[in-house]
Amino acid sequence: MKFIKNHLMFILPLMAILLGIEFYLVFDRTTNTYEKGLKEGYSMLVVTKDPMELSKFQDLNSHISSLEKIKRDNIVSEVSKGVSKSTSKAILKALPYFYNLGLDTYLHSSGLEEIKRDLEADKNIKRVETFGGSYNSSYKLFSFIKFTLKIFIAFMTIVSLFLIIKQMEIWKYAHKERMQVMEIFGAPLMLRSGVLFKVAFIDAIFATILVSAIFFYIKFYWAAQSGIDIMMENQEVLFKLADIGILFGSALLIVIIAVYSVVFSAKGVQE
Amino acid sequence: MSNVIHASHLTLAYEKGEKEIIKDANFSIKKGEFVFITGPSGSGKSTLLKALYGQLKPSEGSLVVGGLDLATVGKSKLQELRTHMGIIFQDYKLVNEWSVAKNVVLPLMIAGYSTEIQDTQAKRLLKHVKLSEHAERYPLELSGGEQQRVGVARALAKNPVVILADEPTGNLDDYSSNVIWDLMENACQQLDTTVLVVTHKIPTIFSLPYRHFIIESKGVYEVH
Repeated sequence: MKFIKNHLMFILPLMAILLGIEFYLVFDRTTNTYEKGLKEGYSMLVVTKDPMELSKFQDLNSHISSLEKIKRDNIVSEVSKGVSKSTSKAILKALPYFYNLGLDTYLHSSGLEEIKRDLEADKNIKRVETFGGSYNSSYKLFSFIKFTLKIFIAFMTIVSLFLIIKQMEIWKYAHKERMQVMEIFGAPLMLRSGVLFKVAFIDAIFATILVSAIFFYIKFYWAAQSGIDIMMENQEVLFKLADIGILFGSALLIVIIAVYSVVFSAKGVQE
Repeated sequence: MSNVIHASHLTLAYEKGEKEIIKDANFSIKKGEFVFITGPSGSGKSTLLKALYGQLKPSEGSLVVGGLDLATVGKSKLQELRTHMGIIFQDYKLVNEWSVAKNVVLPLMIAGYSTEIQDTQAKRLLKHVKLSEHAERYPLELSGGEQQRVGVARALAKNPVVILADEPTGNLDDYSSNVIWDLMENACQQLDTTVLVVTHKIPTIFSLPYRHFIIESKGVYEVH
């Protein structure tokens, strides 16, 4: 019973940290897809006196990634219904050029304003419409969710780290005597910390397996039946095989830091 | 005969700039010698022993053990030196979660000997200290005298060049103390090991020729 308790006291906080890491990875991937959708669905309208190429727009601001010309003929045909051909031609001649500009990234409204300023600095550009209002509300909601989750993950990690430090104190108490005796008789660091490493390494494997199992369940069972659009659409990115490597690597790093902290603090002979 | 230990203008203090425990000590100990270091409580006997196994660096002067100056020696060399030492403590310093046999072969384990050799040596050493029947028991199941015999067996495990003992009989009754002194005399005689014992009182039953140093007023003096 004591054996299981000792292992659980390290496995559980380690799992909490790994869950935090995995949540972050999954959320990052899911929001990237969502962000991509928002970005692709967004464009700003630019009106110019003379025709302009994409490269010219990109010279004005590097965030501009795509350009779509709005056909002037369509506009003219709409406004010149019932007028003569010559009038229609005159309207077409007087009509400025319209473009939808796409961006390379999802920007805050201040970023959009900056692009607008850059574009309006060009004398050829008559008007820029960013549609900032609707864009901004989605962005704010999105940023708020992202921020909240990050805070939650950071809080969870800090609490877990405290629990790990507590466990390290217990390890120190349990292994100090043996490590000191071994040190007196000339045992190298690796040999002194061998037992502790073995214990912590096994715990790291268990924590990784358990966290991976939770996310496999979320990916293949829960997400599929959740009815939540964003989950169902992004089922593929919920957990990837490479994540097991990231989780185990992180667990191993925490284990190495924890074990060496205990080993180094247990140096010297206790009187 | 060559010096196994040589101290020259040795000064020991726990922190640099703090009060010295030992000051300007000069002494040499040759291979195969049995040496007692006595002195009143708090005189610095255990501090000197700590310096001899490299737990405390000399703050001034030099302390050469087995050809290595402990004032300047690096970590790996110190580790190597310690594998040639047998150290005995008043409080035994056994690993309580290990069996008696495993405690005894700790120096062999550190040196990387095979488990077969460790098993054979454990049997031999435990027979030598008359604890064969306790091989699989744990230290806390033994009496103080028996635990110290395990400590002596551990110190002898790798035929050390030098044995350092800190009040080895301090916690023991007369009978157990005599057994420990016998074992240490044998080690010195049969293995030609240098034995340095810190104690507050030299045992009356001691039969080997020995040298006696006393620590007084921070100095280390030989008593003739």
